Amino acid sequence: MELSNVDTILENRGAEPFDIIEVLQDLQGLHGYLPEELLCRVSESFAVPLIEVFRLASFYRAFSLKPRGRHLVTVCLGTACHVRGAPRMLDEVVAQLDVEPGETTEDRAFTLETVNCLGACALGPIVVIDGEYHGDMSPGKLRALLGAVRDGDQAVVASV
Amino acid sequence: MARTVTITVDGATIQTAEGSSVLDAALEAGICIPNLCHMPSVSPIGACRVCIVEVVDDGRRKMTASCTLGARDGMVVEAHSETVLRARRHIVELIVAEAPNSRAVQDLAARVGVTRSRYPMRDKHCVLCGRCVRVCDEVWQSKSLGFVGRGGDRHVALPFDKRPDLCKRCNSCVEVCPMTITPCPGPMAVPGICGLCESQTSMVENIPDTCVMCELGRGFQCARWQLRGLLAPA
Ligand code: SF4
Ligand code: FES
Ligand code: FES
Repeated sequence: MELSNVDTILENRGAEPFDIIEVLQDLQGLHGYLPEELLCRVSESFAVPLIEVFRLASFYRAFSLKPRGRHLVTVCLGTACHVRGAPRMLDEVVAQLDVEPGETTEDRAFTLETVNCLGACALGPIVVIDGEYHGDMSPGKLRALLGAVRDGDQAVVASV
Repeated sequence: MARTVTITVDGATIQTAEGSSVLDAALEAGICIPNLCHMPSVSPIGACRVCIVEVVDDGRRKMTASCTLGARDGMVVEAHSETVLRARRHIVELIVAEAPNSRAVQDLAARVGVTRSRYPMRDKHCVLCGRCVRVCDEVWQSKSLGFVGRGGDRHVALPFDKRPDLCKRCNSCVEVCPMTITPCPGPMAVPGICGLCESQTSMVENIPDTCVMCELGRGFQCARWQLRGLLAPA
C-alpha cells in the first residue's frame, strides 16, 4: 500500500475525530475500498480505537471494506425507484453480470451495489454507473449501457 | 450534594437524587420495573425498551424508557398501567423471537408474563443490548468491540473480527452478556418459551409492582440484583 499517499491525505485533513470521515472518503477514492492496514493507520494517527474507525467504515454505504471492481454499478432500490420498477433493473444487472448485490465479478470488472435513495427520485428508476446517473432506466437500456461499459473495459484491459 | 426530587411511581411517592434515572429510583425503592440492557455502573442507552413506563403530565400520557428518563421534581410515572404492561409484553415477545435460547430471555419472559411469542423465532443469539460494548468502553476504558453495520445488519463485532491490542482479556463482555448465562436444565418447549418457571410467574398477576428479588430477576441480571451487589460486579 502506498503509505506516502496516506500520509499526504492525513496531513491535508484536520486531526479532530470528526475529520475521520473525510480521510476515509479520500482513501476510498484513492483505493476503491478501505483496506485493513489503512484503517489501522487512521486509527493510530487520530488516536481513536480501531473499532470506532471500523464502525464508521461499516456504517456508510459509500465505504467498502472489500476490494471493488473497476466499474461500480449502483442500483437505487428506494421507494420511488422501487415503484417504478427498480427490482427489474436489479434482476437485469444480476443476470447480465452474474453477481449478487455487494459482490464483485470474478474478472474484477464490476461491483454491484444497491442504495436506498439517491435524492433524485423524479428520475427513477436510477442506475449509477461509475458515478454517472442514468435515470428513467429500462432493462433494455440498461443492457445496452452495461454492454458499452464492458466493451470499454475490455478494450482498456487488452491495451495494457 | 445533589438536590433531592420527589417523584411518584405507581402511586408511591419516592425521593431520589436529581439526575438519577426513574428506573434506578424505582428499583432502589423496591418497585419492580423489569429491565434488560440497564447496568448500574455504565451509562444507559435504552436499547431493549423493556423498562418502558408512562409519564403522566397534565392528563397526557407519554410512553418512554425509564432507564434513560431523568427524574424531575413532581414527575408522575406509571410503570404498570394496562397500556404499559401490554407494550412491555409485546417488547419481550420480540426479544424472545430474537434469542429464544437464552436463559436470561426466558426468565425475563416469565417475569413479565409472556408465555408465547407471536413472531417467528430468529435465534440470533444477540439482542443488541450493548452491555458488552459499554462495559468494555466505560468500565475498562478499552473500546475493543462495538456496534458495526446498520439497520438489520447491525451487530456487535471486533474490528476485522480480530481481537485488538486494546483488549485486556478481562472477559467482562462475556460475563455481562444475557446470552451467556448457563441455561437451566429444563427442556426448551416449542415454540420458544420454556415454561418451567411457571411456578414463579404467579407474582406477575399478584405482585407485579413490588420487587421480591425474584430468582427470575437474578436470571436476567435485573439491575436490582446488580444494585444490591448480589451479582458479580460488571
Ligand atoms: S428482581 Fe425481580 S421483582 Fe425485583 S425488580 Fe427485578 S424483576 Fe422485578
Ligand atoms: S428512490 Fe431512487 S432516487 Fe430516491
Ligand atoms: S431500555 Fe431501559 S433497561 Fe433496556
